[in-house]
Amino acid sequence: MSRAMRTRIYYAILWMVAIFFFLPIFWILLAALKTDADILAVPPKLIFAPTLEQFNKTLFGRGTGISNTIPYLVNSLVLSLGSVALATVVSFLAAYAFSRYKPRATNFLMFLMLSTRMVPASATVVAIFQMYNAFDIGLRNLGLISQPFFRGFPGVLLLYTMFSIPFSLWILKGFIDGVSPRYDETGFVNGASRLHVLFKVVLPQVRPGLIAAFIFNLIFVWNEFLFNFILGGQGTQMIPYALAVGLVNAGGNIDWGYVAALSILYVSLPVVMIFFFQRYLLVGMTFGTVRGEV
Amino acid sequence: MATVTIAERNERALAQPRRNVLRAFEESRAYPAALLTPILLFFVLLNVIPTLWLIGFSFYRYSLQSPDIPRPACVSGPCPTLLSIPTGIQVSLTQQLQIIIPAELPIGNYIRIFEDPALWGAFGRTFLFVVLAVVIEVVLGVALGFLFWGSSKMPGRRVALTLLFTPMVITPVASGLFWRLIYEPTFGVLNFLIRTFGGQPIDFLTNNQWAFPAVLFVDIWMWTPFMILMTLAALGSVPKAELEAAEVDRMSWRSKVRYVIWPHGKFILMLGILLRTIDAFKTTDLVFLMTNGGPGNITELVGLQLYRYAFASLNIGFSSALAVVLLIAAIAFTSIYLWVLNARRRVESR
Repeated sequence: MSRAMRTRIYYAILWMVAIFFFLPIFWILLAALKTDADILAVPPKLIFAPTLEQFNKTLFGRGTGISNTIPYLVNSLVLSLGSVALATVVSFLAAYAFSRYKPRATNFLMFLMLSTRMVPASATVVAIFQMYNAFDIGLRNLGLISQPFFRGFPGVLLLYTMFSIPFSLWILKGFIDGVSPRYDETGFVNGASRLHVLFKVVLPQVRPGLIAAFIFNLIFVWNEFLFNFILGGQGTQMIPYALAVGLVNAGGNIDWGYVAALSILYVSLPVVMIFFFQRYLLVGMTFGTVRGEV
Repeated sequence: MATVTIAERNERALAQPRRNVLRAFEESRAYPAALLTPILLFFVLLNVIPTLWLIGFSFYRYSLQSPDIPRPACVSGPCPTLLSIPTGIQVSLTQQLQIIIPAELPIGNYIRIFEDPALWGAFGRTFLFVVLAVVIEVVLGVALGFLFWGSSKMPGRRVALTLLFTPMVITPVASGLFWRLIYEPTFGVLNFLIRTFGGQPIDFLTNNQWAFPAVLFVDIWMWTPFMILMTLAALGSVPKAELEAAEVDRMSWRSKVRYVIWPHGKFILMLGILLRTIDAFKTTDLVFLMTNGGPGNITELVGLQLYRYAFASLNIGFSSALAVVLLIAAIAFTSIYLWVLNARRRVESR
């Protein structure tokens, strides 16, 4: 067998492995393009007339419990973009301070931050839930708020910011450590202010870290379910919530057309992200502790 | 002022440095403190205070099912099975402090953790789940990682890797639902295949024998790509020069793995295994969506059990104690993780 032929077979095997892992998602994509009757058909139909009916009904109202999905989609977008942007800024400032000034508790704080991400969500949510409820009632009794603050949009946004901070901090500290302090010194010698050095000298050099932190935190917040399910009130519920609840409200019978169309819409964002930002996948999936490319 | 030369101006500037408030601030110790303030605020508000809260309650016998408490609708009436969201719980801090009853012993809740057979069952199942999932994922991931090692010139590599890595970046809620449709007994595609080959259809997620393996399989599907990724990273961390030297020496495949790849790659592989262990231990969403712990309690993992103690039984004191235990476990895992990470730094910088 020629070398070229062997290479071709090798590549074909790799492609088959990749497609094998994608098959379940492909199957749901097919379901999302079917009519209700086709989804429930026995035997399952592989060849059918594709239609966008499910997407249309999912986005613009249908007879299940959740008639309009747009608000959930908006919540997902606003909460994940907002909290991740906030977390990136907060962590960038802190990462610079940790990296350059090395305050005494640096390593300990970095460790604590990382371990907050290793705790099961159901353990954290018990505590946050207690605290948020008590704060809200306290604020209401003081007459400061009429709507829930912590169990409303601001509280959930803050929670997701904290959820994104450890990872951004780790990744950005790693990148800033990699920028030699000589750049900073050169800046100071030439009369630059410290803020100028921070934003005009260091920031441009850690752009890959910022992008990786942003993209992967976006994916993590976008995918989050348990906090949203338990803490979320009106105006904070995201699509995973809608998926889980839409499931029940259909009266025990799962509306598979709705589930398929909505989840395909929802997972397309992370998929597109890892297509375009594949080089950050490693640093992203290891919370910024391992760098490199695959 | 018209005839001030540049030299004169410079001299004057040197003699009397401009007092700039911003500059003074930047040079002071307040500057790094200011940079750290936002993160510390977040950390204290959303980690330190809740954790203290948690530790505090873990010493009390505090249940929202005690009398004199405004109850959520779900406690007096029937709860929808999946939807036991405690939206109705409105207990203020003062009320919380009024109704809590100190545990018999200050550590009564912790003792009850050890005495609760349901919880031991959940720990056992979680342990089994973690071990099986991690072992299978590591074996498959390392094998496939080696397979993908030589793929850098593959046409369409980026698309292929996107397809391969997709399972790990989609929300477990969605993947749980995907697999429910695939496992569905009447029109699910898996049972169609079983029937085609002459088998009896199986309702995987409600069958006592199949529910646990079915959930485990989904976890393996989701996270094997992660181990492939970590294997590729581990292989990528081996210096090219050493690999070429091994090639020149016509080293056998086995000794190449043993003496060239392992000394460099072991760290990243270990980190991958640790991260996966921690993550598998946390599995909640997936079982919540796929089986909700059923049938019976066959897929009831610790994360889900804790959720149920806190939000279905409303037993806050006990669930806080359990949460503290899981918190300590997470901190222990993180220490091991950082130890491996630092070991790698030491070796690589030698």
